[in-house]
Amino acid sequence: MTAEVQKYTLEQVEALELAPGTEHENLEGWVPALATAEDLRQALEKALDYRGDVTLTLKSGERIEAYIFDCHNGSGLADSWVQYFTPSAPEKRKVGYAEIARLEFTGKDRAAGKHWEDWVKKYNERKAAGEKNIGLAPEALE
Amino acid sequence: MAIPISQMGTVAGYVLKKRFTGVKQYPLVLMLEPLFRCSLACAGCGKVQYPPHILKKQLTPEECFAAVEECGAPMVSIPGGEPLLHPQIVEIVNGLVARKKYIYLCTNALELKKRLPEFTPSKYLTFSVHLDGQREHHDFSVCREGTYDIAVEGIQEAVRRGFRVTTNATFFDGTDPNSVRAFFDEVMSMGVEGVVLSPGYSYEKAPDQNRFLGRARVRRLFRAILSNRKPEWKFNMSPLFLEFLMGKRNYECTPWGMPAYNIFGWQKPCYLLQEGYASSYKELLETTKWEDYGVASGNPKCANCMVSCGYETTAVIDGFGSMKGFVAMVRGTFSKYRDLSALKLLNEALPGTHAPLIRIEQTERAPEETTV
Repeated sequence: MTAEVQKYTLEQVEALELAPGTEHENLEGWVPALATAEDLRQALEKALDYRGDVTLTLKSGERIEAYIFDCHNGSGLADSWVQYFTPSAPEKRKVGYAEIARLEFTGKDRAAGKHWEDWVKKYNERKAAGEKNIGLAPEALE
Repeated sequence: MAIPISQMGTVAGYVLKKRFTGVKQYPLVLMLEPLFRCSLACAGCGKVQYPPHILKKQLTPEECFAAVEECGAPMVSIPGGEPLLHPQIVEIVNGLVARKKYIYLCTNALELKKRLPEFTPSKYLTFSVHLDGQREHHDFSVCREGTYDIAVEGIQEAVRRGFRVTTNATFFDGTDPNSVRAFFDEVMSMGVEGVVLSPGYSYEKAPDQNRFLGRARVRRLFRAILSNRKPEWKFNMSPLFLEFLMGKRNYECTPWGMPAYNIFGWQKPCYLLQEGYASSYKELLETTKWEDYGVASGNPKCANCMVSCGYETTAVIDGFGSMKGFVAMVRGTFSKYRDLSALKLLNEALPGTHAPLIRIEQTERAPEETTV
């Protein structure tokens, strides 16, 4: 932790009854403005937490569909990079922050609509309709 | 005693060797995730929320063996995803058995009965079957009716074939301790070696972020569940870790003790948080800012964590690393933890319904703003 963050005292931690989790933003479709290096860094941090693919447009004009799973923040743009998988290649790839011109949250958020409350609602509706063997199935892998 | 002597001896020897050679950071269990694909779609799960091209990827057996050999942990837990969906899981398991690693293959058991003939019973191989409680509770928890009965069939067949079998359960807010104790009776009657349990933890990627127990509630729940034990109950866990869950001990996290390796690499800093990846276990140790994690760090992401991947290593090292710890571990193995006030907690617990599972409450105290 290098920035100002919310921290707990030990007494607060020990007294927690329910623990607040990470707040997920609705990022699907978002195109962040990347006016400064800090804008880019923050947007890539969000892309790291995002549970879907993003599209990177490089300064060369190349567009990359990517699932970003690692961000390395160096001392500046030149020594910072993200690591990602693309849908079409088996190997991990890296691209430097300095090469990125645009970031779009184009992929589907894979956690959207999968809350516990969503399941409880579906279950109750299907149960009330007299359905048997109620369950959720994994999404097809397309 | 749920854990075989040979396994305890291996772990004890490993811990003592590290202690005598002055190694401070070492892995005890490798959390090897060969794929994230799963045959269930549990609401709120934070482990399978990936695009299809990520869910289609999987580690090769060679990548699994290289990770195991590099880190050198004596035990390997294979979660996922559902490991039985990996087309080469038998080859992976056989390779790890040949390397004399104690394996816990974590499965929802939907395919277990069918797949058992492909595996060979061994003291090194344990099927750790995901069961979150009694039939109704488990089926509701994994969002599919009928899964409990299928899993139980798998367990019974595995036991019949001579495999080591444990169950593993995760408990969230609203868990009825009386139902959990009845569940222990049920699973022990199936002939399993022991039970593994854990409080839920807020995976950052999980859709749900509001059902996670805070430390005060974890202690109360586990004190109610684990006090006044029945002699038949066996736990495939360190007794000192169970005492930690019951609030009888205070431990710090050992995040490097159960490192996670998956298609992305070595996960920083631990199995639960995803703050980047290293290309080797050595790099993980050397490049992770360990002081930023654990309860003592004040990091809010670690505030509610009492999960085995961080704290059981601490308990095991405590148990095998000192005479005092060893005596406490032996005493804990045979203790029934008689506790009248814990009985009162059980009597106060409401009959289990699904309603409390979705209750959302606010924490009473807000975190402080602090600069580090």
